[in-house]
Amino acid sequence: MKKVRDNFLFRMWLMLSALIVLALVGFIIGYIVLNGMKSISLDFLLSHPKGIPLGAEGGILPAIVGSLLLTLIACASASVLALATAVYVSFYCQSRQLETVVHVIVQCMAGVPSIVVGLFGYTFLVAKLNLGRSLLSAGLTLGVMIFPFIEVRAEKSLREFNRAILQSSYALGVSKVYTLLKLVLPQCKADIVAAVTLAGGFAMGAAAPIILTGAVIFAPIPRSLSSPVMALPFHLYILTGEGISLEKAYATALVLMVLIFAINIVSIALTFRRKEVGR
Amino acid sequence: MYRVFDRVFTQLVKILTICSLLTLVFVIIFIFKESVVFFKAVPVLRFISGRSWNPLLAADNLSILNIILGTLYVSLVAIVLALPIGVGSALLLAGYVKGQLRVVIRGIIDVLAGIPSVVYGFIGLLVLVKFFETTLGLSSGESVLAGGILLAVMVLPYIISTCHESMEKIYREHAPSSQALGVSRSYLLRKIILPESRRSILAATVLALGRAMGETMAVMMVIGNAPIPPRLFGKCQTIPSLIALEMGMAEVGSLHYHALFASGLVLMLMLLVINLILYFLKKNILLQ
Repeated sequence: MKKVRDNFLFRMWLMLSALIVLALVGFIIGYIVLNGMKSISLDFLLSHPKGIPLGAEGGILPAIVGSLLLTLIACASASVLALATAVYVSFYCQSRQLETVVHVIVQCMAGVPSIVVGLFGYTFLVAKLNLGRSLLSAGLTLGVMIFPFIEVRAEKSLREFNRAILQSSYALGVSKVYTLLKLVLPQCKADIVAAVTLAGGFAMGAAAPIILTGAVIFAPIPRSLSSPVMALPFHLYILTGEGISLEKAYATALVLMVLIFAINIVSIALTFRRKEVGR
Repeated sequence: MYRVFDRVFTQLVKILTICSLLTLVFVIIFIFKESVVFFKAVPVLRFISGRSWNPLLAADNLSILNIILGTLYVSLVAIVLALPIGVGSALLLAGYVKGQLRVVIRGIIDVLAGIPSVVYGFIGLLVLVKFFETTLGLSSGESVLAGGILLAVMVLPYIISTCHESMEKIYREHAPSSQALGVSRSYLLRKIILPESRRSILAATVLALGRAMGETMAVMMVIGNAPIPPRLFGKCQTIPSLIALEMGMAEVGSLHYHALFASGLVLMLMLLVINLILYFLKKNILLQ
C-alpha cells in the first residue's frame, strides 16, 4: 500500500513541477505579448520618444538602434578574443598547468556578476580612460561580460572535433594552421556562430552593465562611438521605475523580447543544422 | 608562402590570447585595487560585520552585514522554491518525454533563460508586488519573498538543464536492465536516477545560487532596496542593487565610491568560492 502511495506522490510531483514550468512560460510570454500588442504600432517603432516626462509619448527608434549597435560592438570585441583563446587552449597549449590557469581565470570572470563588470567599465573606461558615457564604453563593458560565455562554448565545440581526422591530417604533414582553417573551423563554424549570437542576445538584454557606462534616458541615434546611446532594457527600466508610461513599457518589453527571440532562433537553427550535417 | 602565414597566424592567436587573459586579470585586479583603498580606512571585519549603511555620515557608518544577509536570504528563498520544481521537471523530461516533444520542451525552457532580467523585474513589479499589496493586503509588496519568487523563475532553466543532462545519461545506462527486470519506470526514476544524480543536483544548486546572488535588475525592482535586516515580508537590499543604485551618486574617488567597490569585491569573493566549488563538482561528474 505504502509503495503505491509513494509512487503516486512521486508521479504527482513530477507532473506538478512540469505543469508549473510550462504555466510560467505561458504566463510570462502571454502577459507581455497580450499587453504589448495593444500599444505597439509602426509609429511606435519608428519615432523618437516625446512628451513630458520624456517617453510618455512617441516611440523607441533610438533605443532599438542603440541596443543593436551595443550588441554588435560587444559581439565583435568579445568573439575575436574569445575565439583566439579557445583555439590557443585547445590546439596550441602544451602544458596542463597553463590550461588550468586559463580555465580558472575564465571561470572566475564568468562568476563576476554583470553589475561588477559595469562598475569596472564605469571607473576604468568612463572615468580613467575618459571615454565618457558612450556607445564604445558600454559596448566594451558588455564585451567583457560575454567573453567567458563565448570562450567556454567555442572551446567545447573545438574539443569535440574528431581527433582521428586531426591525427590523420598531421600525419599527412599538413600544417596545424592549415588544418585549423580548412578542416576544424568550417565544421565548428555553426556552433561558434551560434555561441556568438546567443551571447549577443544575452548582451542585448543586459541592463546592469550599461546603466553606468553609456545608457541614457534620452539620446538621438548615435552618430559616433563616443556619443551616448539609448538602450531597450534601460529604457524599459526607466519607464517602469519612474512610472512614466505603463503602455509604452509593455510595448518596449515586447520589442526587446521579440528581438532577443529572433536572435535565439537563429542560434538554435544553426545548432540544429550542424547536428543534421553531423549525422 | 604558407610558412610565413602559419607563423603570423600562430603568433596572432597567441597575442590575442594573452591580450584577453590580461584584460580579465586586469578587471579582477582593478576591482581589488579600488577596494583596498576603502579597507585602509575601514577594517574589513568592521565592514562586513557592521549593520549601518549611511554614506552621508562618517566612514564608520559604511558597513554591509544587512546587505550581505539580504543577498543570501533572497537567493536561498529562490533556491528553496526552484529546486523541487526544477528537479521534478528534469526527471520527467529524462524519463517520460521522448524525441521531438523533448526537444520542443527543452526549447520552451530555454526561452525562460533568454528573457532579459529587466523584463522579469517589470513583470515582478506589476504582477507579484501588486498581488502582495492588493490580495494579501501587505503595506508594501516589495519584499524578500517577491524577490525570491522572481529569482526562482529565473534560475529554473539553469537547474533543469544541468540536472537533465546527467539524468538522461544515467537513464540510458539503466533503462534496458530495469526494463528487462520488469521494474516500473517511476520506480526506476525514484530509486536509481534520483539518487545517482545527486551530484549534478548539487552542481545545479550551486550554479543557481551563483546566478541568483549576482542578479541585479530583476531583484532591484522588487525588493524595495532598504538596507535593513531582511525579513521574509520586509524590504531588503542586495549587493548588486546597492551598487546599481548608488554608483551614479557617488563621486569618483570618494570613500562612498570605494565602499561600493569593496561591496562588489565581497560579492565577487562569495561568487568565486561558489564557482570554484562548481568547477570541481563538474570535473568530478565528468570523471565518473
